[in-house]
Amino acid sequence: MKSRRRSLVPYFLIAPALLYLAAFFAYPMFQGLLLAVYDDEATLPLLDGPTVDGAEVGRLSQGSGITISDRQGNRLADADVVDNDEFATGLLTEQWFQVSGEGIEGDEVSGWMPESRLRVRDEAADGTVLGGTIRPRLGQSGDPSTALRAEPNESAAEIGRIGERVAVTVDETAVLEVWFQVVDAETGLEGWAPSRFVEVFSDDETGRIDRGTAGEFTTKFIRKMVDDRKFSSAWRTTLMLIGMILPLQFVLAMAMALVIDARLRFGSGFLYVFALPMGMSDLAVGILFFSIFSGNGLLNSFLEAIGVIDAQKLFLTADTQGWILFAIVLAELWRATSIVMVILVSGLQAIPRETLEAAELFGASYWQRVRHIVLPLLKPSIQVALILRTILAFQVFAVVIALSGGDVVTVLANETFRQYFSLRNNNVASAYAVFILLLSIASAVFYLRAVRAQEEVRPS
Amino acid sequence: MSTPAKSSAKSPRETSSGTSRETAVLPPLDDPSVVAEHRRMKRRANRGRSFTYVAAIAIALWIIIPIFFVFSMAFTTEETVRSYPKNFLPFVPFSTETMRFFLGSEGVLKGLLNSVLVALITLVLSTIIAVPAGYAISRYVFPGRELFRISVLAVRAFPIVVLSIPLAVLFIRTGLFDSIWSLSLMHTALALPTTILVVSSVFASVPYELEEAGQVFGATPVQSFRHIVVPLVLPGIAASGLFTFVLSWNEVFAASVLTLDNRTLPALVLTSLANASPAFQFAGGFFLMVPSIIFTFFIRKYLFNMWGQVSK
Repeated sequence: MKSRRRSLVPYFLIAPALLYLAAFFAYPMFQGLLLAVYDDEATLPLLDGPTVDGAEVGRLSQGSGITISDRQGNRLADADVVDNDEFATGLLTEQWFQVSGEGIEGDEVSGWMPESRLRVRDEAADGTVLGGTIRPRLGQSGDPSTALRAEPNESAAEIGRIGERVAVTVDETAVLEVWFQVVDAETGLEGWAPSRFVEVFSDDETGRIDRGTAGEFTTKFIRKMVDDRKFSSAWRTTLMLIGMILPLQFVLAMAMALVIDARLRFGSGFLYVFALPMGMSDLAVGILFFSIFSGNGLLNSFLEAIGVIDAQKLFLTADTQGWILFAIVLAELWRATSIVMVILVSGLQAIPRETLEAAELFGASYWQRVRHIVLPLLKPSIQVALILRTILAFQVFAVVIALSGGDVVTVLANETFRQYFSLRNNNVASAYAVFILLLSIASAVFYLRAVRAQEEVRPS
Repeated sequence: MSTPAKSSAKSPRETSSGTSRETAVLPPLDDPSVVAEHRRMKRRANRGRSFTYVAAIAIALWIIIPIFFVFSMAFTTEETVRSYPKNFLPFVPFSTETMRFFLGSEGVLKGLLNSVLVALITLVLSTIIAVPAGYAISRYVFPGRELFRISVLAVRAFPIVVLSIPLAVLFIRTGLFDSIWSLSLMHTALALPTTILVVSSVFASVPYELEEAGQVFGATPVQSFRHIVVPLVLPGIAASGLFTFVLSWNEVFAASVLTLDNRTLPALVLTSLANASPAFQFAGGFFLMVPSIIFTFFIRKYLFNMWGQVSK
């Protein structure tokens, strides 16, 4: 150790790590928590007019039923049309064309009309409309001609009329964003909103608020998670797997640790083999055990060779959940026991040889030594290994997918992935993730408490 | 280690563990009862040793047989892979057909390349960031040192799943989604805590006195670091780099969440698992396993240092 006097050097040295963890650990962690409880599309503010700078008259929450009482189109700046991705999807836009051609009175007229009135006949290579003819008004009595307006807007002043089927040239194109004046079906609240936030039903009169622009804290994602039909089976299976795997794992790991600690010949060879699964990908282990338990896998071949069965037995089907669970337990035992062993061996090496030799001298049998000396002294290591293993066991994922297709038997991490990947629901996926986090923290606290309580009970 | 209690002879001291403490006066060493007891203990110890060997071999077989099975299936013909019942003789017939089929499948070569790149970027990034931090923890005493250590430890305890979803949302928003860079950033965040702790334990194993001795003989602090510390810590840092590489190579949840077209190998294998042929699965399993087998071989010296330190 150096520099007992105050120095800034160590702070410079740890700064990159701190910054990195803040940016790519703490910040996303916080965002993840937020995703689970905060809906950033919860409510839609209604404005007093069909413009973005209108005053807010009230808010409607996502999904409320509405009727549409009026519509209006606002011209968009060209930049908005190109740049803003949001306009590309779900936006009700309308094109208006500034056309010029021969009016009904034989004079040259020029003005704005909506795209619905033009049959496009001439287009540039990039899709720009250059000209066309005025559509006839089929089956309509009344004036067959089309109004041309001063502005690309239904309410703008009429500056001329043009007859049907007249050829016109298009001088300019404008994209309008359509605004709706909506009335809340329940409260009667009335206001304007851009069409892209409103889903219109087929009658063109009623609809619902598709999504909002203002966020609010909500429990709806958590409720959605709890109500999900796979939720209860997922957490039950997760806990059951932990309950089955951990005890077996500790017995096996203890056996492995004692074997290593016995300093056999080829001890380092045994250590290498015992540690092999430690670095193995859980997906690879899933595949490995799938190949053992699959229909024409190793287990069937073996059982048939020794005459236990005489036809292939299917272990990994929807009807054999017990076998799938068994395979998962075996795979996890195979994969994750090594790390427990390594922690236990580290603990064993810290136990003074003299203590054990003294016990042996006084006639303590092997099991007595393990029970009364090794295990109590190993308790801190066991505690660390327990916490580590439990936290990792909550994240069991690839093994389950490999062995059950992620469907027949499902666990929490699996559901997180399904919500994100198949159902595209980030918020509910985050709710699952937060649930796993809370379970991990709870189990860590539980183990720390349990060990402390035991220490307090013991008099010495 | 020795044998289970059932083989123990009924020596007076064995009958009850409590009474041994009351034996105040020990008989002389040449007493026949002591000699007999000594012989019994020796026999018991021998029997115990052979029992331990049996246990060791049994556990070793339990670990090796499945690995061996996958390896032999990865190097045989597709027909053998599909056949039933399975051949118990390994590598019969030996063929690279399964391998060729796997490597020829769509996206596999790209996935392999992506995996290697992501793992290498992760290795470089996390080493660059972790080495100074690990050095600071092991060499300096400064206010906040314990806090830093504890928080780094705590980071390890957080589940990957919690991190992946918000990072995916973040990366989509910033246009980094589905690239090997974003995945490397995520993997670095996962690897960093362990790497920092391992590196600090590696530095701690090189006494500062060595550095001081170098300075006594006229080296500048930088020189003595360069010529004394660096050669001594290099193997340890290489081991921690290997660990990072394997962690990234194996990681499947974040890889599946954060990529779409630029899948790494595990993400590719996972998402095509449902409709993959057995040959694809075995060869995929083989490729996923190889780095870890090499890794374990090289780090076995550091195994207890690494995890012993990390688990404290």
